[in-house]
Amino acid sequence: MKKHYLAMTSITYAMKAYDFLRRRGIRCEVVRTPKNLGSGCGYSIAFPDEPERVIALLDGAGIPHK
Amino acid sequence: MINFDNSATSFPKPAAVRAAVSEAVTKYGGNPGRSGHLLSMQAAAKVYEVRRQAAEMFAAETENAAFTANATFALNMAIKGIMQYGGHMIISSYEHNAVLRPVYALSQTRGVEFSIAEITDNDEESVQNIKALIRPDTKCICCMAASNVTGRILPYRLIGELARERGLCFICDCSQGAGVIPVSLADGINILCTSGHKGLYGPAGTGLLITDGRFPLSTIIEGGTGSMSMLPEQPADMPERLESGTLNTVGIIGLGAGLSFVRNKGLDTIRQHEEMLCERFISLISRREDIRVYRSGCNHLPIVAFNVGDISSHEVSQRLSDRGYALRGGLHCAALAHKTLGTVEQGVVRFSPSVFNSVRQFESLAAEILRL
Repeated sequence: MKKHYLAMTSITYAMKAYDFLRRRGIRCEVVRTPKNLGSGCGYSIAFPDEPERVIALLDGAGIPHK
Repeated sequence: MINFDNSATSFPKPAAVRAAVSEAVTKYGGNPGRSGHLLSMQAAAKVYEVRRQAAEMFAAETENAAFTANATFALNMAIKGIMQYGGHMIISSYEHNAVLRPVYALSQTRGVEFSIAEITDNDEESVQNIKALIRPDTKCICCMAASNVTGRILPYRLIGELARERGLCFICDCSQGAGVIPVSLADGINILCTSGHKGLYGPAGTGLLITDGRFPLSTIIEGGTGSMSMLPEQPADMPERLESGTLNTVGIIGLGAGLSFVRNKGLDTIRQHEEMLCERFISLISRREDIRVYRSGCNHLPIVAFNVGDISSHEVSQRLSDRGYALRGGLHCAALAHKTLGTVEQGVVRFSPSVFNSVRQFESLAAEILRL
């Protein structure tokens, strides 16, 4: 299954995004940010579908991401 | 031993808190926010859930609820985070040393100036006293929601209104109000600090700093946050900005169970039960003419401060301890409040029940006091 990754600025925002998206029926998980997407420690939201919609939802909720 | 010193720390803890702490020790052993493995992620999810609960209780965004070791840490972070580059601030004449000492330290090391506003038995007059002390360089008002000595509820909503009108940061020490009265950021508080182990029924070693984010905080502790690790500067994101180092996962999970206990029980139910105990306690001990109860016509938390004749409050509390009752005598780390009350020499004995105290318990305590 193809996965999209969205790097988050902190574990708290990753958890908040996860909580927010799951409440809207969007499957996702919190994972360590893959090496090719960022340096240092960090967390991402991984999800299978609709990256534009996910980003729009998070932006609309004021949940920051990289 | 029967505990009537719940304003120091509540005991016993609810069964759900004891169970949550036990589960945390046995199941949630990973370091939250430090790794991607299952143990770490499970712990992070639990910590986030408690953060969400705390934010909900105090009307904040989830990320703006930071865990601290206790209310003193939270107050130091708030006061020094706002004032470390100087300016003027106002505190009340009831403040605990958790406020007075960091403010005094800043006055000695950072050139901060501070004024102490007299809190009288009249709320409007008390707010006017604060208002009269505001200067062009005033940055902040810092006061407690309620006194840890007498339970006197300060007019924090009016103070919040005043701070908002003047564009000042309002830091409120809610250590004695949280879990009993519905204090929250909705009351005009910008930074709410509280212990987690008193009215919120969490384990010792827990506290909260809740902010509305309008007044960014400089940090007094920097270090590993599990985020932005390539940068030498402390991240700006809350709550990691204030949460350097490994979190007290066990305490936080226990606090979560305490928050649920308070929410399920309801603030009104908790306060009504404790007030009933206080009112009947006052009624019983007032049979003795030389007992003085320190209550004014203002609203009070369920706390009763009293003295027996001219006997030292330490001696009274020791005699009661010898008979199986835990009450705190002395100054309660709040010399300012005792100056206000005129009880610096004698101190006071403090009766502070919790939701677990029963009528039978305080009746037997009152009988012992009458026999002293």
